[in-house]
Amino acid sequence: MLKYVIKRVFMVIPVMIGVSIIVFSLMRVFSPDPAPIVLGQHATVESMDAWREANGLNDPVVSQYFTYLTGALKGDLGTSYYTKSPVTGEIFARFPATIELALAAIVFATVVGVLLGVVAAVKKNSIFDAVGSLFALVGVSIPIFWLGILFIMFFSGYLHWFPSGGRIDVLLKPAEVTGFYMVDAVIEGNWVAFNNALDHLILPALALGMYSMAIITRMTRSSMLETLGQDYIRTARAKGISETKVIGKHALRPSLIPVTTVIGLQFGSLLGGALLTESVFSWPGIGKFTVDSILKSDFPVVQGIVLLVAVIFVMINLTADLAYASLDPRIKYSSKKER
Amino acid sequence: MSEWNQSSVDEVPTMGSESQKADETLATGIVLPDGEIPGDDYDETLYEKPENQWLEMWRSLRANRAALVSLIFIILLVLVAVAGPYITPYNPIETEMSNALKPPSAEHWFGTDQLGMDIFSRVIAGTRVSLTVGLLAVSIALTTGIVLGAIAGYAGGWVDTIIMRVMDMMLAIPSILLAITLMAALGKGIDKAVIAIGLVSIPEYARIVRGNILSIKENDYIAAAHVVGLSDARIIFRHVLPNALSVIIVRATLGISSAILDTAALGFLGLGVQPPQPEWGDMLGRARGFIFQAPHTLLYPGMAITATVLAFNLLGDGLRDALDPRARIK
Amino acid sequence: MKRSAHLLSLMLALALVVSALAGCAGETVEEEPTAEEPVAEATTADTFTYAQGADPRGLDPALVDDGESSKIIVNIYENLLKYNDDSTEVEPSLAESWDISEDGLSYTFKLREGVKFHDGTDFDAEAVKFNIDRQLPPLVTEEMGYAGFVFGSVKDVVVVDEYTVQINLTAPNTAFLANLAMSLAAPIISPTALEAGDNSVMENPVGTGPYKFVEWNKGENIVLVRNDEYWGEPAKTKNVVFRFIADNSARVLALSNGEVDMIDGIDATVVDQITEGGGELFEAAGMNISYMAYNTTTSPFKDQAARVAFSQAIDREELVKSLYQGYSDVADTILPTFVPGFDPAVEQVEFDAEAAKAGLAAAGVTEVHMISYTNPRPYNAATGVSLATAIQGYLQKVGVECTIDTFDWTTYKEKVKAGDYDICFYGWIGDNGDPDNFMNLLSDPDPTMNVARWQDPTYQGMIKDALLLPNGDERNAAYAEMETYVAEQAIWLPISHAKTLAAYRPEVSGFVYHVTGNVFLKNAVVEVP
Repeated sequence: MLKYVIKRVFMVIPVMIGVSIIVFSLMRVFSPDPAPIVLGQHATVESMDAWREANGLNDPVVSQYFTYLTGALKGDLGTSYYTKSPVTGEIFARFPATIELALAAIVFATVVGVLLGVVAAVKKNSIFDAVGSLFALVGVSIPIFWLGILFIMFFSGYLHWFPSGGRIDVLLKPAEVTGFYMVDAVIEGNWVAFNNALDHLILPALALGMYSMAIITRMTRSSMLETLGQDYIRTARAKGISETKVIGKHALRPSLIPVTTVIGLQFGSLLGGALLTESVFSWPGIGKFTVDSILKSDFPVVQGIVLLVAVIFVMINLTADLAYASLDPRIKYSSKKER
Repeated sequence: MSEWNQSSVDEVPTMGSESQKADETLATGIVLPDGEIPGDDYDETLYEKPENQWLEMWRSLRANRAALVSLIFIILLVLVAVAGPYITPYNPIETEMSNALKPPSAEHWFGTDQLGMDIFSRVIAGTRVSLTVGLLAVSIALTTGIVLGAIAGYAGGWVDTIIMRVMDMMLAIPSILLAITLMAALGKGIDKAVIAIGLVSIPEYARIVRGNILSIKENDYIAAAHVVGLSDARIIFRHVLPNALSVIIVRATLGISSAILDTAALGFLGLGVQPPQPEWGDMLGRARGFIFQAPHTLLYPGMAITATVLAFNLLGDGLRDALDPRARIK
Repeated sequence: MKRSAHLLSLMLALALVVSALAGCAGETVEEEPTAEEPVAEATTADTFTYAQGADPRGLDPALVDDGESSKIIVNIYENLLKYNDDSTEVEPSLAESWDISEDGLSYTFKLREGVKFHDGTDFDAEAVKFNIDRQLPPLVTEEMGYAGFVFGSVKDVVVVDEYTVQINLTAPNTAFLANLAMSLAAPIISPTALEAGDNSVMENPVGTGPYKFVEWNKGENIVLVRNDEYWGEPAKTKNVVFRFIADNSARVLALSNGEVDMIDGIDATVVDQITEGGGELFEAAGMNISYMAYNTTTSPFKDQAARVAFSQAIDREELVKSLYQGYSDVADTILPTFVPGFDPAVEQVEFDAEAAKAGLAAAGVTEVHMISYTNPRPYNAATGVSLATAIQGYLQKVGVECTIDTFDWTTYKEKVKAGDYDICFYGWIGDNGDPDNFMNLLSDPDPTMNVARWQDPTYQGMIKDALLLPNGDERNAAYAEMETYVAEQAIWLPISHAKTLAAYRPEVSGFVYHVTGNVFLKNAVVEVP
């Protein structure tokens, strides 16, 4: 087991280096000259040359890469071409917004997804099953950005139930403790702020979570069906245990194992979805920031974000792999054959 | 991409970057984190004559009405895409400012957009773009992925490690983000979108093929083939790949639907086709400004995307059910 | 059956929860606070919310170059001079009066006394010197985009006494006064704040203006609060919030919902939606010009007759009307109507299809290569492609085939630089409201400014002379003469001046939406019924 852990952790390093190289090359090598963007429309050729020199853009590519890498390891991801402030600061200012949205989306997706999946499985081939399955099917097929716009059109523009964008009415903002408005509002005991933040969160979270919810529904359904077909369930029923208990206590838990792994995998798709959802709802998170920065050719920012996201992703995968390995007896107790 | 693929319980997904399962499963359905199927030394499907397998698949597919309808719909879409320019009532890129933002009517079935272009024609023309990109991107990903996966699986050793590490690197970045970043670097344009979307899908297919190869590499059948004198290449192409084919077909179908969604996303953000070329996502992106005074500009392209993706998903689903030996038993 | 009963009740509970939330949400939306005034007196709201399309680049006037920054900057900072509310004539602001030396090389400003920066430090001649020196060599950096434009002709700054400062120029330049009123480079920042911020106040601006900076929530909003120690009339509304809503229709929706009080960045297509949603439209002439330019260095358009004939084929009135539906004005001059130097008597080439046909045939013009841009621009809401296509239509009627190559804006600028075109489309947004700012484009040696690549010694002489004349009738006449000359030579075909459009709720009043595109909110109020 230990051997596996060490091996697995070690393998992360080349991956991370590889990612940093990919990101760096994409940005520095393939992209156009940033000088006109930074210096504005009145820039002269001389000032652009001077700026390029001062920012190391005339150095050989390899040395530029090492400057970048050493900086990144120290936590310095460069300076935004557009706002001229440190990239790290810009990213972290917007991080809580995206986390909040992603968490809300995954909670929604899990709760509703599992519910629908269980109902569909238990009531297999009934109207519930058909509706649930149809819902899930449409959920994975509908483009997230379209769904978001439809939500705004209907729930905000037509019904006026929810605001059309943003995170909170700024003057209601609670004192900043965690950066998560709802948490901060609770800490402060400020229920008006809490409500307001929730209002702003609902539509984007629903739009973002829809795809994951659909996946989870499908997964739960088939997992549940598989479990319900097992012998021990038949035994339980034969023993006279109530149907609710059979489902709730005996069938549900084992069915949820594959579902939890699916939930973990949704992280990647949620990030991708956040890019689109945040743009549609003007949600001031990393996703929208990434899209804006790409469209503005603000490469240090894009570089920083992609690198950061990749690091997080790899870390999560690593943790998950290790957790899974610790549960799987074959890995735990064996030594790996060299391949 | 295509987490949709993991919704069958037959394929127990394992977590983490090492986690994609090969699709040959056992009763336990367990796949070790680096792709090996423990104890899988007997693969019964290898003994079925290929024709029977496909016939079985076709019969099962036919029985699945939803999948059949989807197949017909897709064939229809392909026809529309091919016929494209000949069946559009108006020139999809001809602007007519005085006719802008007209709601659906007899002359313009889907109405007109903000530059006066007929939306129905643009939706039809957009079919060609979406299907082409979807098919091309998946083809690129498929061929590259298969080759890489085969090499990795068969060669083993450090070749395997390097290839798989590179695949890991690509998987370390969420696919849409990677695709958008690629577009930012390569520039806008539909051809670059194809490359970007194709590239980000490669790891998936590489994994499948590699897993397949790994799982049967050690088994007696292959050893016997070696003894008899068959070359490695022949073994791969004649025996290993056809096996993986069924899984690959399912994945590819679902991959097309992902590719179409991703294309639309890129178009929506303004990174895809260049105006005035029609593309569903781009049409949605430019319709954003008119959601209240001209909702029709938003409705039809979105419905087109959803319907197409739905069809491919249903088809893929049907194919998976048809090709999965265990599902057949159910 | 127990099982389904349980499940059913679960679903019901969920449904109840969702609708309860929706109900709460509904209430909260209606309670949207726009007034938190103590009951007794006030009839106006505490807060004025303005929504624009994006975050500013930053709040240091020397380090930014975009409109989103400029709109916020003008409410926090002030300059030595400011523009008149309705035009680009300059008036005293932090400078009460000024003298210009005979030779035009020395400007002496008498500063307003008793003015303090938001951080409590004093505004005085030293502060002015500090601000200008910062943007002159040797302290100026490449990142100060407008330093060269505004202070390029400055030799040095001398502090005469605590409230008198003298700025010496290297060469006379009447436009210099207009430059001092610009929202970029020229506003006066607190030297103490600059020193504390390591020569940058991008995220903590300190000025002398009617509003003070409170906070910047990136991607969301910027909050300003009234400066109660302001030297003049204090602002009418206590808080100002600038919200950033990228999506045009979301911004309009926010206005209709009452979430914001005023928005900009709208175009003709959303006007109906705004008025139906109860909003009011604000239209003002814009300080910009959209034009078609001939490449005067190559065939066929190095020949004046060919240019005139081509221009004659185009019915500009009809073109502008159908492309912009009233939200751009036909440009009969290069200068917008409110810029000094504008002369309504100037005439462009008249539309005459018959003469065009004859002239083009005589000049042997049958095919023309045009390039254009695919996106909308502030001076052209209809995209360069639409404009080019419309013109292509007119030329077809007189027997000339125009091919149009289109590119996205960044690529387009490269193509313009390369010069491979007979005709290109371009525009200009004025910086300082001085006529030289527009007219000197046609004498600029840089082809990305002077896209017609016109090098005419007569015209260049006229530009130089007019720059030296003091503001007044003589100077205005000089620019009118230049306009006429350019029109006769048909170097450009001016197409339109795009109007500045904004929308506001009917309860809103008092804002000043200046022709430079900046919004002054110190007198803005939101009535509360």
